[in-house]
Amino acid sequence: MISIQLILLIIFGLAAIWFGWRVFMTSSMVRSALSLLGSMVAIGILFLVMEAEFLGVLQIMMMGTEMSIMAIFMMMYMMDPGGLGNMDMSHQKNVSIVAGVAVTILITGAALFADWGIIATQVPSAHEQNRLLGMEILKRSMMIFETAGVTILTGMIASIAVALSIKKSMEK
Amino acid sequence: MELLITALIIAAVLFGIGLYGALSQTNLVMIMMGIELMLGAAMINLVAFWRYLHPEAFSLQMFVLVAMTVMALEGAVGFAIATQRFRTSGTVEMEESAELKG
Repeated sequence: MISIQLILLIIFGLAAIWFGWRVFMTSSMVRSALSLLGSMVAIGILFLVMEAEFLGVLQIMMMGTEMSIMAIFMMMYMMDPGGLGNMDMSHQKNVSIVAGVAVTILITGAALFADWGIIATQVPSAHEQNRLLGMEILKRSMMIFETAGVTILTGMIASIAVALSIKKSMEK
Repeated sequence: MELLITALIIAAVLFGIGLYGALSQTNLVMIMMGIELMLGAAMINLVAFWRYLHPEAFSLQMFVLVAMTVMALEGAVGFAIATQRFRTSGTVEMEESAELKG
């Protein structure tokens, strides 16, 4: 029986795939960044369809910000951000296509032929999910969450250190 | 069962597109976009496994939060490398970064 959840999953899944494909098919860098934003928002909606409300909203908000920043960087660093010159910025296309198709077939085969066991029909309500996720973070997964926090701090320091301009006094 | 398999197939196709992008693009920012797509596909798998196999195990949702952290960090460090690369060589084309080879 085809349920509403399955229909929504297919619609937004196809949207995510379509936008993901458009990222590498357009010569305009701004369109690439916006297509990736579309794909990430579609993934966020897929989370909402799968009843993971908190993660869905978090994904849409986070990726909205990140892709906007990415679009700005694209315009800063690209020689032809509007894609007016139709520059080809790809290499080893055949190898990449073969690798992409082979991995897709491999994972799809695993998804189709694996024995997934019993499928759950019920999930906790949205507010109960938030409470249980909070309990998970504050109890069993506390060290992992703390590690993620420290990793973000390390990443921030590393980013600033890498992006600093090398002064002449430092070169000596 | 068809819901789980549909979600996994969507993730598989997205992963394949991301892999194609990461391998075929010469621009650093475009390579990062491919990696973002692959991480997005991995997150769809994690949420699908949580929803359809173990809705009581919130460590799976925790795993998604860690994946989101990795995505944000990949963006931050990648842009920092792009900034430094642009400053030193005036481009973020990886074809012109042959001196980075070990």
